[in-house]
Amino acid sequence: MQVTFWGVRGSYPVPGPDTVRYGGHTSCVEVRSDEGACLILDAGTGLRALGQRLAEEQGTSPSWQYHVILSHVHWDHIQGLPFFQPAYMPGTRIAIYALRAAADELHKVIGGITRHEFFPVPLEAVPADFEFHEVTPGKGFAIPPDFEIAPVALNHPFGAVGYRVRCDGTSLAYISDTAPFDRVLHKQHFLASPEEPSEEDRRVLDAMRADLVSALRGTDTVIFDTHFLPEEFEKFPHWGHSTPDHALDLMTGIGVRRLVLYHHAPSHSDKVMDSIEDTYRRKGNERGVQVVVARERMSLQIGQVTDPGVGP
Amino acid sequence: MKVRFWGVRGSFATPGPHFLRYGGNTPAVEIASDSGRRVLIDLGTGATELGKQLMTEEFAEGKGSLPILLTHTHLDHLQGLPFFTPFFIKGNQIQILGAAPSGTPLADVLQNQLNGHYSPLYGLENLAAGVRVDAVGPGSSLPVEGFEVQSAVLPHGGMAVLGFRITADGKSIAYLSDVEYPLGEPTAEALALARGADLLIHDAMFSDAEYESRAGWGHSAVSSAIAVAERAGVGQLALFHHSPDSTDAEIDSIVADARRRTSIPLFAAAETSPQEV
Repeated sequence: MQVTFWGVRGSYPVPGPDTVRYGGHTSCVEVRSDEGACLILDAGTGLRALGQRLAEEQGTSPSWQYHVILSHVHWDHIQGLPFFQPAYMPGTRIAIYALRAAADELHKVIGGITRHEFFPVPLEAVPADFEFHEVTPGKGFAIPPDFEIAPVALNHPFGAVGYRVRCDGTSLAYISDTAPFDRVLHKQHFLASPEEPSEEDRRVLDAMRADLVSALRGTDTVIFDTHFLPEEFEKFPHWGHSTPDHALDLMTGIGVRRLVLYHHAPSHSDKVMDSIEDTYRRKGNERGVQVVVARERMSLQIGQVTDPGVGP
Repeated sequence: MKVRFWGVRGSFATPGPHFLRYGGNTPAVEIASDSGRRVLIDLGTGATELGKQLMTEEFAEGKGSLPILLTHTHLDHLQGLPFFTPFFIKGNQIQILGAAPSGTPLADVLQNQLNGHYSPLYGLENLAAGVRVDAVGPGSSLPVEGFEVQSAVLPHGGMAVLGFRITADGKSIAYLSDVEYPLGEPTAEALALARGADLLIHDAMFSDAEYESRAGWGHSAVSSAIAVAERAGVGQLALFHHSPDSTDAEIDSIVADARRRTSIPLFAAAETSPQEV
């Protein structure tokens, strides 16, 4: 299994000279099985360039099916979708998997981003055929021929889901977006400031954390929302994002080989990212976890060296 | 009067090394009068950069006031809204003026952009600043302090957008973005807005060759921008709303080609320092 990062940024795309090396596009990761089957994790602005690449690969073949798995539908995770070139090629099928976070049906929520006020081509007029699958945390599903997916609930405004992906005898986890599990329990209302969790909230948070740890146990590579530096997190603990320290704390001692820092804050220049890489490589080494900073167009082989799932 | 382009890119933001000289942010243009009044046109990702600048000024203390004109609410003209920091400071007074697209009230469109599914802001009411949203009718003179602002309706594919003419200090800027004239013939409204303007900022998303396969998409070829500039007798033309596929080198060649075709001074809008008009 291999992953390629097409968008690594959180919140909104950041063009300009300060983001050239790490990249300015928002969340989008391509997963490929050894056989070449493709899975797309999140549909931020990185999806446009991935779509151009896939359209080339697809050529004139009409029967392609794409699988797009969404962590949640905040703009930075979906705004590439209307610009996904294969969607405009008749015969293409696109399956979208997402959490149904409220009563509204998925096709209405996702179709809502291309209402005429926002985009000239409504979902119904797009040539590709779309299907929508509701994801339930804790309830695994398969995407044939190669992928087994395990969704796990995350702590983020309105709800988000992380995914463990098993394939080719190894595994990957995509954990974006999430706050840590101690300060705030995110629900479905606006937080102007941190809201002290109730006893019941704490029980919910503890259970979420335990489920996440068990999903991550033994995973080769974990891609994690590490939007904030610690001092930034202290100012905005109610924004639904973590620091690299939160990620390391969760995955120390549970057999995770590698942590990929992801969903970089839009304010983090290449220079800041360099220093984050330095600091957390060192901290990772101390914990026995290899730390890598996600960069646009970077590819990683999953389960290369020490994954216990790889064997004869 | 000064103009500053904070975002010049159409449709989709373009980070990366090939878009550094002209810039990759989606539309946001600041116009400032000599007396220090400001008006912002459109809320693309470029607005996030302006927001940072404003937060080094009175907006950080909640004492800022800013009118924002929206041509329309397609995402590339709106995606900076949830990240425009002056909205989060109590006391700032921000007025958004724009058209109501096909019957949906403008405030409802913005509210929908910020609904809980799509944004952790959950709605306009959670922006700490005082935000007023006013739908404006076409052809009207808009109430923007320190400027004279005229608007007119322009055709943009299947929808209509607003164009603006902004006057202060005896100078005028016309902003005609996201426009495609049926049969390539500039409309009377467009020509009236641009008439004699010192600077015309005009949609020039496609080279004439690219346009051939993109007719009907709601955007102009460079030759349409030139036609409006010549017929309206403007002082200067800024090619605007660059295609997300046009690299710096490609925009250079679009400009060189356009200059050979007209005597009107022209340039491609770029995210640079403020320019005197």
